Amino acid sequence: MTARILIIEDEALVAMELRFVLEDLGYEVVGTAPDARTARALASRGGVELALVDIHLTDGATGVGLGQELGEGFGVTVLYMTANPGMVSHGVPGTMGVLTKPTDEGCVRGAVEYALHLRRGEPAPVVPDGLQMFG
Amino acid sequence: MTNSIASDPDAIEAERLRVLRSFDILDTDPEQAFDDVMLLAARICDAPIGMVSLAVGDRQWFKAREGVDVPEIGPASSFSRYAMRQPGVTLVRDARLDPLFADHPLVTGQSGFRFYAGAPLIDDQGLALGALCVIDTRPRPQGLDETQLMTMDVLARQVMALLERRRALRERRRSDEAATAAVEAARLVTEKLAESDARFQAIADSMPQMVWSSRPDGHHDYYNARWYAFTGAAEGSALGDAWGEMIHPEDQERARTAWRASLSTGEPYEVEYRLLHHTGSYAWTLSRAMPIRDGSGAVTRWFGTGTDIAEMKRLEQAKALLSQELSHRIKNIFAVISALLALSARQYPEAKAFAKAARTRISALARAHEFVRPHTESSRPSLDGTTLHAFLRDLFLPYDDEAGRPRVVVSGDDADFDDQAATPVALLFHELATNAAKYGALSVPDGRVALTTLRQGERYVMTWRERGGPLLKGTPQGAGFGSSLLALSVEGQLGGALEQVWAPGGLEVVADIPATALAPRRAAGQFA
Repeated sequence: MTARILIIEDEALVAMELRFVLEDLGYEVVGTAPDARTARALASRGGVELALVDIHLTDGATGVGLGQELGEGFGVTVLYMTANPGMVSHGVPGTMGVLTKPTDEGCVRGAVEYALHLRRGEPAPVVPDGLQMFG
Repeated sequence: MTNSIASDPDAIEAERLRVLRSFDILDTDPEQAFDDVMLLAARICDAPIGMVSLAVGDRQWFKAREGVDVPEIGPASSFSRYAMRQPGVTLVRDARLDPLFADHPLVTGQSGFRFYAGAPLIDDQGLALGALCVIDTRPRPQGLDETQLMTMDVLARQVMALLERRRALRERRRSDEAATAAVEAARLVTEKLAESDARFQAIADSMPQMVWSSRPDGHHDYYNARWYAFTGAAEGSALGDAWGEMIHPEDQERARTAWRASLSTGEPYEVEYRLLHHTGSYAWTLSRAMPIRDGSGAVTRWFGTGTDIAEMKRLEQAKALLSQELSHRIKNIFAVISALLALSARQYPEAKAFAKAARTRISALARAHEFVRPHTESSRPSLDGTTLHAFLRDLFLPYDDEAGRPRVVVSGDDADFDDQAATPVALLFHELATNAAKYGALSVPDGRVALTTLRQGERYVMTWRERGGPLLKGTPQGAGFGSSLLALSVEGQLGGALEQVWAPGGLEVVADIPATALAPRRAAGQFA
């Protein structure tokens, strides 16, 4: 299973490592965005299926609103990745869930697979460790 | 008069003095009423000299006198002192022939007294106070006729009546005076109160703090000058219930609720709200009030203060923002180091296992620091709070069984821990758990670990007990660096003792540390 994934993360090294992990797993990373504006520009080109969204970006805590915008406006499946899951613990419309950082390859793989299964309406396995689903 | 007084001359003198003083007459000026009575007696008795003579201690003092120049004489010289002790009117017809008075200076001297008639002045208790007397310089062998005797008797009682009236008047005056004094005292108290109120207002007006007072029913009856200066409200405009309108709409209900609660319970009032400032914006203030109670404990008044805490609030917010920012950066550093390790290991596939081990340790550290950093409501990492047990349960989550039940069961006394203890605590339990997952109880599905933490006086004892793992054959090989990390954490950083026993049934580790080692800053009294 492959998919086009957008990484929204302000720490370049963390973003790069996440890109490598996802590429190792066979996914196509369409880009990494350090802020909301770049993220919007990348998403507007179309074809993004899943976005991994950090909450604190270089332009502030813009991740929450950005995730909702990507989900509702661009049809992207959104998973937040943050060290502050409390910021979105009540759920955000148009988004799917939150992964608590720091995380590891196993968690990322499990969470991405699970989210894509749901997106494609395929029978999904149990919710993987470390992923908190909204709703 | 009682018998004891009657038999004691000194007591009689003292009593007489007391009674005379009660008339308030001694050494007063002549008065028409006494003069009239005395002159009437002298006229009727056809005598040139007359006196109303009172026995005052060792002197004989005349309230009224005619034909004598001195206002008083000594007792030894007194006819009256003798006459007042006799029943009825005493008559001395010719003093020269009387053995009691023949040698008296008033008889032998220039005064030339010959005839004396004295009627005693007796009070209602029977005590003799003096005499009404008439005197002639000619002897009177015939004495006084019946009318004259009766006149002396009647006029003596008239003198007593005058004296009694004086006493009655005096007593009335005294009670009038007492009433006047009471009225005056009440006026003084009112004046003092007004003065103390004025003084309070003067002090309150000079205070840099806002001061107000309220009646027990909550009606505000005073605000000091500072309050009016702060709010810019017109003097007197906030009295009564109008203060609420000066508060930020979002804070009004909270303030009014707290105020109503204090009014009904008498508990001190304390609330923070934004108060309208004269600049037109709202400023954070701390409002507090204490009840003043009377002798019966009832609240008579409330005195309140308002403190400008805008600056404090700003600093608080700035501090919270700063510590949030710092925490965020620290967390990012952990993430960046972890990412850097993973990226570096990509170049050296043989280092992948090393990188993975190092990253899980860093992850445990990051997790522990996430628990001890300053938090806001929404940034808290766990609903259970930020105690040691909450952190440990979080750390052991990856080892839960298929059904989501914990395989490392934490029990015993919970404790707070701070950033100084976070690193050794995280390393200790991370190493124990990863070792158990490699070699011990967590390496097989049915294995379990019981972690018990007990507060024992000044010590905090943490016992890690593995059960259901593979059979151990003594100290395992290859746990070198992990063991060193354990010893370093417990003995080096936490100042405790570490004991590891590889019993055949499973590893048992006891870390015995000072209770203060978990939160050294708190133990030192710093809540930074």
